[in-house]
Amino acid sequence: MSAISIQSVSKRFPNGFEALKGIDAEIRSGSFTVVLGPSGAGKSTLLRLMNGLETPTTGMVRIDGEIVDRRKVRHIRSRVAMVFQQFNLVDRLSVVTNVLTGRLAHRSWVGSVFYLFRQEDLGIAREALCRVGLIDKAWSRADKLSGGQQQRVGIARALAQRPKVILADEPVASLDPVSSEEIMTLLREICDRDGITVVVNLHQVDLARRFADRIIGMNGGRIVFDGKPEEMTQSVLRTIYQREGIEDDTSLDMALAYA
Amino acid sequence: MTPALIWRWPTPNGLPPLPLVGGVLALLAGLWLTAPIVEVDFVRLIGSFGRMLAFAGQMFVTPDWEYVPQLLAKMLETIEMTVLSTAIAIVVSLPLGILAASNATPHPVVYRLTRDLLSLMRALPELVWALVFVSAVGLGPLPGVMALAFVTVGFMGKFFAESIEVVDHKAVEGVRAHGAGWLQVRLFAMLPQALPDFVGTVMYILDHNLRAAAILGLVGAGGIGYDLVMSMRLFQYDRLLLIALAIYVVVTVLDRASDRLRSRIIHGRRA
Amino acid sequence: MNVHDLKSARPQPLPPKPRNPMPVWVAATLAMLWLIVWDLEISFETLAYGVEDMAEYFSRYGQPDFTDLSRYLYLMGVTLATALWGTVFALLVAFFLAPLAARNFAPNVVTYRIARETLNFMRAMPDLLLALIFVAALGLGPLPGALALGVHTAGFLGKFFAESLERVDKGVCEGVASTGANFAQMVMYAGWPSILREALGYVLYILDRNVRMASVLGLVGAGGIGLALHDTLRLFDYGQSAALILVILATILIIDYASAWLRRRLD
Repeated sequence: MSAISIQSVSKRFPNGFEALKGIDAEIRSGSFTVVLGPSGAGKSTLLRLMNGLETPTTGMVRIDGEIVDRRKVRHIRSRVAMVFQQFNLVDRLSVVTNVLTGRLAHRSWVGSVFYLFRQEDLGIAREALCRVGLIDKAWSRADKLSGGQQQRVGIARALAQRPKVILADEPVASLDPVSSEEIMTLLREICDRDGITVVVNLHQVDLARRFADRIIGMNGGRIVFDGKPEEMTQSVLRTIYQREGIEDDTSLDMALAYA
Repeated sequence: MTPALIWRWPTPNGLPPLPLVGGVLALLAGLWLTAPIVEVDFVRLIGSFGRMLAFAGQMFVTPDWEYVPQLLAKMLETIEMTVLSTAIAIVVSLPLGILAASNATPHPVVYRLTRDLLSLMRALPELVWALVFVSAVGLGPLPGVMALAFVTVGFMGKFFAESIEVVDHKAVEGVRAHGAGWLQVRLFAMLPQALPDFVGTVMYILDHNLRAAAILGLVGAGGIGYDLVMSMRLFQYDRLLLIALAIYVVVTVLDRASDRLRSRIIHGRRA
Repeated sequence: MNVHDLKSARPQPLPPKPRNPMPVWVAATLAMLWLIVWDLEISFETLAYGVEDMAEYFSRYGQPDFTDLSRYLYLMGVTLATALWGTVFALLVAFFLAPLAARNFAPNVVTYRIARETLNFMRAMPDLLLALIFVAALGLGPLPGALALGVHTAGFLGKFFAESLERVDKGVCEGVASTGANFAQMVMYAGWPSILREALGYVLYILDRNVRMASVLGLVGAGGIGLALHDTLRLFDYGQSAALILVILATILIIDYASAWLRRRLD
């Protein structure tokens, strides 16, 4: 059964830029999918559509059979967690409180606006922090942590939502190679152990090859490749990273030679 | 750990942080203690609701159209007082601002003295100075302009000094390295850098002075304030309505204009 | 242009200097100021002659009369209490209105516009006018003064808060929104914690301002020390007026320093 189903989705921004030009894809429940492509290919927009942060111009996105639309967006978001490139934590709140924001949609607003949480929510937050190995930083302020640690808090926040799907938008683009490795391993492990569907945007070919079950290659708002990592040949990579209007791109060949 | 409680705060002991609790309790205690002094009485508040509505109802009258020419003259006077006092304040504040900026002042003692002078000047509200100046030079817009200029020098000098203190040090050193003199450094390196901030300050002061000028008439210091109080005391709601409307329009127009100018300056700086 | 062109190029005249409109502006401003002075019938001669009179006049304030000091201090206390209540009232109103008046938090455009316009209206009404109205409805005393200060400064505080909220990082908002938080939760988790320090600075500034204003609200019958000053000035009792002015001055300076100290501690 597919967790996410994208049906002829296109997105045109108010400034006229067409980020997505007719996308169709089904993402199997419990799979680890990497969306690969150069910057500006529309990867980010695609992910944000799945969480309702953007609305499609035409077509529709279904999560577990439910259409993502304005009225149901909070309900959808409670089950579709998001991890961001810039972590997007609330700097001045403690790590625990940041993780607890993952519980907000599951609780009425009466207690939560006074920062009151149920004992069980704190248990969930503690569990999530243990999973990402940051339980000793629980009471630190979020902005006192390093980038890699902040991203792990971001993942703990996503875990605290008890989600069906985790969407990660360039989760390692702002991190050093060691932290990147840790974060990708963590996401892979979450997918394998909890059966959570994970969709990750990446622009690093090697990471995509090593961690993904399935790779969706995007370029210019279209899907140009969809298959297993081992099917991604050098010529496929050329299609994914091809720049518009450039026939013989030597710098592309050189870059891909090292990928 | 208190496992019996279902609800807890996200802190190590499950209770809200002590400084926060202390602060809120202190504030509540302060309010509770001062309530009898301020004569806070909720029964009276609710009881007055009817009178408030009645008052609002009285405002729905046919405006006194014959009053309009006098209204316009008085509003013009209010605006003129605002502009003139702001202009005087700018001229006086610029040198004082340089003396009161820690990086531009000729001597720490001068810095301290100017700072204290400025804070003394802005300590008392315009209305108190207007009362004093009216007693000194008689009724009319002159004591109003004097009071406005006097108090806003205190504010403007401080704001100018603060914008001079945050100018980029490198440009100042660059000009100094080329052998510029004391005054040249201040005029050609510091002031141009602080200029966008100055414009923001002037807009803010203009706004402040307009609001103040509108009420100075209360003590006979010119502007629309006198008519405002008189129409209130004589229950001339047909005039009061027009006056309130005129103040609202002028203040709002200036407010929007200064918002737009400020965002343009910030934008210009980014480019 | 290549090297050859550079060699053969004759020295060219400088392009014409762009016209500097500065002198025109200065002249226009001076002309306008002169017009204003003329229209307000301000005579600098009388002002100059008046300087001597003024010096004499101010010398009358030379001997402050502190015999009634305890009463003055009590009146100053009333004034401070009025300012405190006004500020707390403003804070409460602004706390609820500001998120609605911040473009990025407001649930929809209609509430945004209504909240913005409400704040604008509160700001545009001078607090003295409001005090007059509230005195008419509530009778004399500090309460109408506190209400007037509250309503007027709620407009300021709400606008300041809303502008700070609009500067909250878009990513942080999305981070909290992506968990499915509702409006109230967005405001409490992404909004207020991010602007806490700025907001406290604004509250201190407004408290400072309200103390200044509260000390003159007495003029329209809203209690406090302003009424006493008005009365002594009317009776030409310069000694008592000087004492009252000194009490106000000292209080405001103390508050000035205290709030500057608090602001430094916050940073």
